Amino acid sequence: MGSVKAGNISKNDYILFKDSPYLVTKTEFHAPGKGSAFMKCRLKSVVTSNTVEFTFKSNETVETADVESKELQFLYQDGENVVFMDPRTFDQAEVPMGLIEDKIGFLTPEMRCYVLFYQEKAIGIKLPTNVKLKVIEAQDAVAGNRVNAPKKPVIVETGMEIMAPLFVKTGDVLSISTETGEYLNRVN
Amino acid sequence: MRNWQKIRENPSLKETFLVREQVIDGIRHFFKTHNFHEVDTPLLVKYPGTEPFLEVFETQLKTAEGQSQRGFLITSPEFALKKLLTAGLGNIFQICKAFRNNEGISSKHNPEFTMIEWYRVDADYNDIMRDCEQLLMSLNGGNKLTYQGREYDLTSPWPRISVAQAFQKYAQVDIDSLLSEEKLLAIGKQKGYQVDSQTTWEQIYNQIFANEIDPQLAKLNTPIIIYDYPVSQAALSRKKISDPRFAERFEFFIGGIELGNAFSELNDAQEQEARIDLDLQERKKLGKVDYGKDNDFILALKTGMPNSAGIAVGVDRLVMLIADVSDISQTIFFPATEIFGLDS
Repeated sequence: MGSVKAGNISKNDYILFKDSPYLVTKTEFHAPGKGSAFMKCRLKSVVTSNTVEFTFKSNETVETADVESKELQFLYQDGENVVFMDPRTFDQAEVPMGLIEDKIGFLTPEMRCYVLFYQEKAIGIKLPTNVKLKVIEAQDAVAGNRVNAPKKPVIVETGMEIMAPLFVKTGDVLSISTETGEYLNRVN
Repeated sequence: MRNWQKIRENPSLKETFLVREQVIDGIRHFFKTHNFHEVDTPLLVKYPGTEPFLEVFETQLKTAEGQSQRGFLITSPEFALKKLLTAGLGNIFQICKAFRNNEGISSKHNPEFTMIEWYRVDADYNDIMRDCEQLLMSLNGGNKLTYQGREYDLTSPWPRISVAQAFQKYAQVDIDSLLSEEKLLAIGKQKGYQVDSQTTWEQIYNQIFANEIDPQLAKLNTPIIIYDYPVSQAALSRKKISDPRFAERFEFFIGGIELGNAFSELNDAQEQEARIDLDLQERKKLGKVDYGKDNDFILALKTGMPNSAGIAVGVDRLVMLIADVSDISQTIFFPATEIFGLDS
């Protein structure tokens, strides 16, 4: 268990808050009326999936949660949990859906990613920086004489909607950033 | 993708960025029709403001003869504007850039930002409160402001609450405990905040404010004025005659965003100089960039600054409200996060 100054907490860190593990989902510098520095954090409980906000003094120490990661394969989701498997041992791990609902749209069957464990419980995942997803629904759009390049919504194989350039068709495979959910390029 | 690229790809974004032009035109129009003159004072100065927690940008002024002096970018044009009040300019305002270094990344901060500072002579902070109410109505063009899915009623008078009342109502801290370092630190510890031998009264005061008071104020569907701050939190303002433990300072917030910071200005040269000296000592202790005091400003106070009240308002944040955007980078064509590749 390590510690960090609150001013150095980053998004996606795991910290202990009131003795319980939380994922940091947002950080924002806060300086009340020319006063000393604070760090406002949005925290998601790894135990309950509830979100709280707390403003730390920038110079106070915060305990980091000891999180281990294992590279596993995505198997399926069964409503409340997302199931991963170690392809060598066939051991399975379940991550509660509530903890990764913003990431589920990037997972394709047998895709490898790091599953994060705290005290032997699976509490989150770390995705690669981008993933390849096939387009299953794209409306035709007339390209026309456009100087600027607007985008159109397309649906990819996981059910997620992405804004893509007008030339993208059903069946195209796109590289999507897992950080922003944005189209990067077409990789057919 | 940078803002200029986003605008090219999505031309309707241009309108969002051009709200700034409307807001600044609107601010100018408001003050010019309310008997104010616009003035212009330096961004590059020899003696910047002395607030202990603000950090400055420093540079070198070099002469052709090979001499070099330290120069600084202003954190606010306050000192210069007060010299102009002493010179007899009357009601004045300045719209200018201000610079604050070593601040973290936030949706409401940019190290180079736009401020409007205005001063009224023969006035106190109550007059400035009324200016704020009227200015916002004027910029919004009506009393209903929609921001991030919520509607705010700008009808004046806005609700007002004192710092002492806010601590009592939202944090259950009584006024004596609020003003006692020992008591407030003990209460902070009881409330579960981290308190050790290094923790200061100011830190716990602000931490309680941020965690227990701010969220309640942010729920209001009107702007809110918080007034009468403990005197240690108001270095440039007059003490209240009726209760000198507090100073005539106010801030106003809409939707949890701090928009302005105002004072009935302190014009007692001796008291002001004493507070500046304390601030400079504090800066040294905190390891902030070290510089001297603006004796010319003290001289102006000695010469006789009229009784005045003034305020500094963040123009970029006003633009955020009127344009209905959640991040300051959506109001600035080239935010520092883009220019300097800062992580957000």
